[in-house]
Amino acid sequence: MIFTDILYDAGFAAIAGIGFGAISDPPLKAFKGIAILAAFGHATRFCFMNYAGQDIASASLMGALIIGLGSFLIGRKLQCPMTVLSIPALLPMVPGIYFYNTILSLIMFLRSAGDTPQHMAHMQDIGSNFMFAFTTTFNLAIGATLPHFIFKTKAFTLTRNKR
Amino acid sequence: MINGNTYQATPPLQAHNSKELVLKEQSLFLSEYASTLMGSGVHTSRVIRNTKRIGKALGLEVTVSGLHKSLILSVVADHTGDSFSTMVEIPHSPISFEINTNLSRLSWEAHDEQLSFHEIVKRFTGLVSRPKLHPIVVLILSSFANASFCALFGGDCFAMGIVFSATLIGMFTKQQMLAKDINLFLSFITSAFIASLAASTSVIFNTTSDIAIATSVLFLIPGVPLINGFMDIMEGHVITGTARLINALLLVLCIAIGMSGTIMLTKHISI
Repeated sequence: MIFTDILYDAGFAAIAGIGFGAISDPPLKAFKGIAILAAFGHATRFCFMNYAGQDIASASLMGALIIGLGSFLIGRKLQCPMTVLSIPALLPMVPGIYFYNTILSLIMFLRSAGDTPQHMAHMQDIGSNFMFAFTTTFNLAIGATLPHFIFKTKAFTLTRNKR
Repeated sequence: MINGNTYQATPPLQAHNSKELVLKEQSLFLSEYASTLMGSGVHTSRVIRNTKRIGKALGLEVTVSGLHKSLILSVVADHTGDSFSTMVEIPHSPISFEINTNLSRLSWEAHDEQLSFHEIVKRFTGLVSRPKLHPIVVLILSSFANASFCALFGGDCFAMGIVFSATLIGMFTKQQMLAKDINLFLSFITSAFIASLAASTSVIFNTTSDIAIATSVLFLIPGVPLINGFMDIMEGHVITGTARLINALLLVLCIAIGMSGTIMLTKHISI
């Protein structure tokens, strides 16, 4: 059951990665790599959140690290810059729902001016949604960028012909 | 816009001075190369690294100062010591990872194969004018992506179908509005409103309608500038990174405004 849950998550994340990646016009040969990375990354986050009791920000960091390291390995084969593979693969993990919940809470906060308990509840929603959105996206960027710092010169020569 | 050695007493560029003309031509090409990369959604450090690499292949020392709307390049010829400064606006082009890949590869080809300047320009023109993914393919793929997103958030098959069609309509609206050069923010508000309104049909049926409505606008979230912004900040390009983040957050604000329009309209129906 756990295995099928992970597969379900990975499968849909792969489709989401390909689809959202397509908006950013990646090279055709990169689609396979993006699908694999999105699946592994999202499944890693899913496992950390559901089976290791981690919060979304820490779990996203682990998922992004897997994507960052994977994009280095696949990028070498496909001669693609790491970010071309990693950013589309990260897109399904961008906490869009928290981002616009922040703004929605802000609108609700402004509209509930007379009702104090509601007003304060919306204020709290703004803070918590924003912190979730901010830290998760920041962690995604850290996870995907760390391999750049680890492999340094190798990471910068992925698109080079002779090695 | 172009300032060639403005502080010299003698006129900087004269038709008969071919070395300076070549330097000017090369600098203008480098500025176009850098601005094309920047406009295609490449993070700042890669733009600088690639531009410097091509410059080195041409025997030029390039210094780039990156801002969100423009780039400033200072180019010094290794042999003569002549310098040329240029400032270029970053074009409003759609994000393209294909251009990112191909132009990065071009910089290595120029470096390793010692390509002539004309060969580099020829290859650059060829790579930039390559056809992009067909909008209909993008439309269908992103609709599938958003439907999968709905599944990831726990939506059932019926909700996925509704999100698929809502994304199809919303994305089509966005593509058409952007193709007609309508303001980006207005396009985002309208697309978010239309997509969420289409998804709000789910309240009539017995399905996970709240998930369907919430995920119907997620295809609009500007994930690439959000991640690029944080990457820029981490790599020390704080101004560019912050500008990218603010731009992305404004788009998120537009999505929320569009969606709150739907909520206002359907609030009473759902009750």
